[in-house]
Amino acid sequence: MKPVVGIGLRSPHLAEIARDRPATGFLEIHAENYLAPSPARGTLERLREDYEVSVHAVGLSLGSVDGLDEVHLDRVATLIRRLEPALVSDHLAWSVLTGRYFNDLLPLPYTEEALGVVERNVQRLQERLGRQVLVENPSCYLAFAHSTLSEPAFLAELARRTGCGLLLDANNIVVTAHNLRLDPGAWLDGLPVTAVGQYHLAGHAVNDADGEPLLIDDHGSRVGEGVWALFDEIVRRYGPRPTLVEWDTDLPALDVLLGEARRAEQALGIEANARAA
Amino acid sequence: MLALRDLQAAFAALLEGEDQPGLFDAIVSDTISAPARLRVHRHHVAQSLTGALAATFPTVQAIAGEAFFRTMAMEFVAEELPVQPVLAEYGEGFPAFVSGYGPAATLAYLGDMARLDWALNLAYHTPMVPRLAAPDLAGLPADRLFELKLGLAAGSTLVRSPWPIDRIWQAAQPEAPEGMVSLEDGPAAVLVLRRPDDAAFASLETSEAAFVSALAGGTSLGEAAEAAFSVEPAFDPSTAFARLLALEAFAAAQHEA
Repeated sequence: MKPVVGIGLRSPHLAEIARDRPATGFLEIHAENYLAPSPARGTLERLREDYEVSVHAVGLSLGSVDGLDEVHLDRVATLIRRLEPALVSDHLAWSVLTGRYFNDLLPLPYTEEALGVVERNVQRLQERLGRQVLVENPSCYLAFAHSTLSEPAFLAELARRTGCGLLLDANNIVVTAHNLRLDPGAWLDGLPVTAVGQYHLAGHAVNDADGEPLLIDDHGSRVGEGVWALFDEIVRRYGPRPTLVEWDTDLPALDVLLGEARRAEQALGIEANARAA
Repeated sequence: MLALRDLQAAFAALLEGEDQPGLFDAIVSDTISAPARLRVHRHHVAQSLTGALAATFPTVQAIAGEAFFRTMAMEFVAEELPVQPVLAEYGEGFPAFVSGYGPAATLAYLGDMARLDWALNLAYHTPMVPRLAAPDLAGLPADRLFELKLGLAAGSTLVRSPWPIDRIWQAAQPEAPEGMVSLEDGPAAVLVLRRPDDAAFASLETSEAAFVSALAGGTSLGEAAEAAFSVEPAFDPSTAFARLLALEAFAAAQHEA
C-alpha cells in the first residue's frame, strides 16, 4: 500500500461517509464490529468498492498463553476474505483468558517466555489468514519487574522470527514513554526499518494517579503536539508509511477528523489524497 | 518471577475484583504505585463494557438515565464478562438481570424494554434472508394454504409484555415529543424484524401475537389460526396473514431443485 493517510470508519460517521464519499487514503475498521452480517457491514462492503480498507483487530489476544481462539479466528478470516484489505493488524497485548474477554489491551511482560507465546500466536494468525499481519505497540500504564527485553527489542525480535510487520503508534509511544519514564526518541532506536508497515496517530487524555499525571490512550481528542513532533521524528527515521488517524470516543464532526488526516499528509510530505469516488 | 500463565490468571482475577498482592509485587512501583497503575485497567474494563451494554440497550439507558444505567451495568459486568470479543453479542443475560435488579423495582417494565432492545440488536446482526411475498403463494388453493408451515424470517422475535412496551419505546426515542405513557395501556406484543437497512418492530394485536407465536412454534397456518381464535373469536386470519406478508415476516419458501 502507498503511504497514504486514512481515517477510522466509526458508526456515527457511516451514513455521511457512504453519502458524501470524502477523499481519504483508506478506511480503517475494527474487525470485531463487522463480523456479523449487519446493515453496517453491507454499507462497508459497498464502500469497499471505492476505498482501500485496513482491518484492525482488537480482540485476537496475540499474547494469550492458551493460544488464539480458533472460532474467533475463523470469523476474522472470513471477514478478511470478503474485504481483501490492504493491511491487517492487532496489538502486542492480551485480552482473553479461559473464555473470559476483558475488552482491554492488557500488558505483557517482555520476557523470552512471552516472546515465544506471541511468536506462536502470530505465526498461527498469519498461517490462517495466509498473509502478513502487523503488530502494534500498545499504550502501557505499567511495567513488569521481570521483563528482560525492552518493548522495541521485543517487537523487533518478533518481526524477525515471524516475518510480521510492525505498526508504530506514535501516540502509544508517547503515552508509554511518559508513563514508564522512557525516552520516546530512544524507544525508536533499532527497529527493523523494512518491518515497519503502518503508523497510527491519536489523541490521549491526562489522568491523575497518586497525584501525578498518567497519560491515557483514549482516542478522544485531536492528536497532541508532542505526538506530532514524535511523528516527524518517526517519518524522518523510517520514511513515509500508510498512516491512520484514530478517533474513537467523543467523536468529532467528520470534517475535524479529515482535517487531522490532512495534517498527517503534510507531515508525511505527500500530496493530498485523490478523491476516492 | 511469575510464569506467564500465572501472571495472566492473577491479572484476570484482579480485574474480576479479587485482591492480588502477588501481582503488585510483579509490577514496577515508583512515584506511581502498582495499584494505581492497575486501576487504569480495572477502570477501562468496567467503563468499556458498560459502554458496550449502553450501545446494545439504548432504550433501557434512556429510561433509567445514564448514572443509574452505569451502576446497574457495572454490577452486571462484575457478574458476567463477555465470553468472546464481539461486543454486539454481549448482554444476552442482561434483560433477566435488569428484571431482577432491586433498585429498578419501581420500573417494573424495564426488564421487558431490555428484552426489546436485545431483540432489536439480534435482528440487526442477522443476515437479511429472502422473504416470502404474496406472488409466491399465487394459485395455491385455500385448503392447501392452511396446511402450510411458514417459518419466520431469521432474526425475528416476538416480544410480549404486560406493559405497553411499544409506546414506552417510542417515548424513549431521542426525537420523541414530550408526553406521558400510561402503563394502563398494556399489555403489548411486538414482532421484531430485520429489515434491509435496520431492525424495527411492528405492534401486534393480542390475537395476532398468538397467531405469530404458534407459527414460530412450527404449527401450520390453520393450527395457528385456531390458536388465535381461542384468544379472540373475531380473529380474521386472512387479514392477519396479509399483514404479516406485507411486513415481510416470513422466510422465502425453500424450493426443491
